[in-house]
Amino acid sequence: MDFLDLIDALQSLADGVLFGATYALLGIGFTLIFGVMHKINLSFAAASIGAAYASLLILAGVKAPPALVFLAAAGCGGVIGGLVYLIGFRFIPLANPLATLMSTVGLLLLIDEIIVHTTAGVPLNYPALFSDVIIRAGPFNLRGDLMFVFLLGCLCMVLLLMLLYRTRLGLATRAMSQQPVAAELCGISNTKVNILTFVTTGIVGGIAGAMIGAAIGMLSPLLSLPLTVKGLIVTVIGGLGSIPGAIIAGLLVGGLENLFQYWRGVSERDLYIMLLLFVFLVFRPGGLFAPATARD
Amino acid sequence: MDFYLGLIQIIGVHTLLGLSAYCVLHTGQVSLAQAGFFAVGAYVAGMLTVLAHWPIVPALLVAGVVAGSLACAVGFPALRVKGLMLVVATAAFGEAVRLFFFNFNYQLERGGFHIGPHGGEGFRQIRYFPEYGWSTLEVAAFIWVVVVLTMAALWWMDRSRAGAVLRAVGEDEVAAQSSGINVTVVKVSAMTVGGVIAGIGGGIFAHYTTHIEHIQFGIVLATFAVAYPILGGLSNVFGTLIAVIFIQGFLIEGLRFMGDWRNLLFGGLIVLAMNVRPRGLIDAGTITLVKRLVFRSKERASA
Amino acid sequence: MLKKYVALAAVVGAMAALAVATPSPAQERTVKITAFGAKSGVVRVFGINSEAALKAAAEVINTAGGVTLGDGTKAKFAIEFLDDRCNAEEGISVIRRIASTDAFIAVGPTCSNVAESLFGILQKKVGDTSDTGLQFPIIADVAAKGGLAKISEWSFRNVPSEFEMYKSLFAWLKTQHPNLKTIWGGVEKDFAHSNATFGVIKQQAEVNGFQILGQSEWLLADTTFSTQVREMKRANPEIVAISAHPFTTCGVLKEMERQGVKPKLLIGLTSSSSIETLQGCAKQAEGIIIPTSFAPVTPEAAKAAELVAKFGGSADLHSAAAYEIMFILKDVIEKQKIMARPDTVAADRVKMREGLAALKETNGLLGKIGRTADREAIKPFLYVHAKDGKWQVLFKPSS
Repeated sequence: MDFLDLIDALQSLADGVLFGATYALLGIGFTLIFGVMHKINLSFAAASIGAAYASLLILAGVKAPPALVFLAAAGCGGVIGGLVYLIGFRFIPLANPLATLMSTVGLLLLIDEIIVHTTAGVPLNYPALFSDVIIRAGPFNLRGDLMFVFLLGCLCMVLLLMLLYRTRLGLATRAMSQQPVAAELCGISNTKVNILTFVTTGIVGGIAGAMIGAAIGMLSPLLSLPLTVKGLIVTVIGGLGSIPGAIIAGLLVGGLENLFQYWRGVSERDLYIMLLLFVFLVFRPGGLFAPATARD
Repeated sequence: MDFYLGLIQIIGVHTLLGLSAYCVLHTGQVSLAQAGFFAVGAYVAGMLTVLAHWPIVPALLVAGVVAGSLACAVGFPALRVKGLMLVVATAAFGEAVRLFFFNFNYQLERGGFHIGPHGGEGFRQIRYFPEYGWSTLEVAAFIWVVVVLTMAALWWMDRSRAGAVLRAVGEDEVAAQSSGINVTVVKVSAMTVGGVIAGIGGGIFAHYTTHIEHIQFGIVLATFAVAYPILGGLSNVFGTLIAVIFIQGFLIEGLRFMGDWRNLLFGGLIVLAMNVRPRGLIDAGTITLVKRLVFRSKERASA
Repeated sequence: MLKKYVALAAVVGAMAALAVATPSPAQERTVKITAFGAKSGVVRVFGINSEAALKAAAEVINTAGGVTLGDGTKAKFAIEFLDDRCNAEEGISVIRRIASTDAFIAVGPTCSNVAESLFGILQKKVGDTSDTGLQFPIIADVAAKGGLAKISEWSFRNVPSEFEMYKSLFAWLKTQHPNLKTIWGGVEKDFAHSNATFGVIKQQAEVNGFQILGQSEWLLADTTFSTQVREMKRANPEIVAISAHPFTTCGVLKEMERQGVKPKLLIGLTSSSSIETLQGCAKQAEGIIIPTSFAPVTPEAAKAAELVAKFGGSADLHSAAAYEIMFILKDVIEKQKIMARPDTVAADRVKMREGLAALKETNGLLGKIGRTADREAIKPFLYVHAKDGKWQVLFKPSS
């Protein structure tokens, strides 16, 4: 029996880690915006879910294959990302971090309510890729669709790192995040870089929203608030601005969540997770992958 | 009439919630733990009046003290971190408090009924006000006595040395530290004062809603606690009050005639407000601005 | 500069909307019934359905001549629906707003947590002058947590008794499937209604000789259920009973399919017998049995469902209760000779309360509804199951 318990615990951990891939995707978005603008966009998770909803609405009439739905979600995510920048950041002075914090809270509520108004808050079925594939490894089962999400998350990370370190846009973005004034003096347009960052993260968000929808099999406005919290947790655990950190933190959070679910049951699960997080942040405020120059 | 008195009660309690976050924001910290302290106050005060039959005033005082002590205890470790880390750390703490009450079961049997907090099903029948014959007007007046006292105390603090110290820490910690201010003591004191105010506010909240359950004290309430002072502006306590009136009075009740549009406007108008007034509804130059606006709108009306 | 003009334009627009929204004085007498509930957030669909059902019932009554008031005049019903966002404070505001008008009854709310607070601010015992609680009758259509109406003598409900439903269901299962013995429970732990109902399910299963192997627990907004379903799989139960709302019910059912858990019988929560479950997971929900107090099986019920659909809602056990409430109100108004005039408001409220409290039986869409001394309803019910992507009647117990 003990052996079986161990297997169950490991299986729970594995399931959680795989599901954590969706948290990782969200964390990448949060952390990217933070890396460039040193600001937090609280509406990001809601916008991601919104993008997934939008992809369903756009393709409502046609019987589109899942891959097309995901692409549509990524596209919608990009558009929403741009809009979020224009509405929530463009006209608010940068020196005022609290103001953009609040404007993104407003956007979060707004996006949520738009979703609720278009769907009456009813959960919608979302298509998935490889959902019938289950990889069996000894006594363990691994969900094919989540493996796909995980690989997609890694792919996003590689593409983003390439974008940041191999392209002119990436160079401009990094310049902007390190020395905005100097960058502007070198002829880099602040607004342009910011809007491109938001569109890029929006695309990642759209993909994340679609993957979340696919992994759960459903979309509901119930998701946006818990996912916002999870996304933030992943961002800070991974270390602000660190993309690989966000991925690892995402998997970690997913795994721990399931492990505590297994050990302590649902009523106490989140209690321990939250206390653990509190302690972690207090004693390791830089997160797992804090940049070395952390003094603000 | 009762409706407006009820609304005034709600505005009063949310002002207390906002002021508790205002204290902490002064030191430059965004704390999402205020909903947790609010919950502690609510449960403590509710249990004292319902289970121990205490009168309301001592119950509220104890609620404030308990929540304040908790805030003080949390403040020491939590305020080591800053910025977004602190936001998430305090949010985690607030959620932990909420989940504690989700698991908290302490029921007594009275006359065949079980009373007291009952885990996920909440804590019902906290009916001190109606049972002791308080009218809506009296409750509203009572709440506002508390609110006015709190605002007066904070107003005075803002203008005293303590306020200067708080602002110094909020503006530039390093500079404050090098001029001999003990930053930790200042931050933890602010957190404690905030906890006391939140605890008292929570105690009143439990009594006018008569039923509390863990879901009410979630991240949304915590966000609103910091939203009030940010939206209203940090230059003085009236900013928080104005923001509460804006959200509770205007966005929630005032826009009711808009029907289905009300909820879309809720988020939208918060975004708009931040775009138009990024430093809060009331900032340092507001009074001159108000004068100018009044003058201009008169001009416009005559044109 | 531009920003200020935009702000000004917004204010002017709001004023204009206010002017348009102000109703013009009606020609004939109308009795406005104000209802309230959630019309925003994840529970918006409940508000939409309730509002549609109330309007549909009002239309039926109005085309049949309307309601006869105490002074013998005929009046038409008009419905107003206010949103409380499923928030207790806002619910209190809404009820105080309604109580400050000429209304003599309010219908609502959607959420049990709002009902708890609202019924709490009402006067507990009628005539107790030391109790300054609000003296205003409320009749609930949706809020489903057990035993709410006993909080105040001014609170009423026309909500099915889940205790009776699951009691009957398990007794029936015992006769139908004598070879099935073991049950595994699943419960959405942090929602008052599902959590309380799960207690009823467990108790009734045990009373009827089923063996409960254990239970899995999850939260309202949970997204992964693999650990919970694995416990279920390990126990290998013959019956799985899930007390959860559509979103997580579907999540669990999908995970059960993934892990290959195929119990011989599935039982669900009353609230999941709605269109939402089928939109979320028709395939996985196939066969799930749910007791419900509404299905379009009688001519009246079929007509009601059609009318509710016309008003943009869908008839389910919750909105059907709202539909029935309009007819209950009509009867009580006529029997108690409610005047519905501004100067008789206080007396009308008292008479309305007395009339509702005196009811022993009311008409329902599926037959007679009994009323208890606790101001609750005992509604006829039936069992439905999901078949071919639709809810179909499985069995109608004769009550």
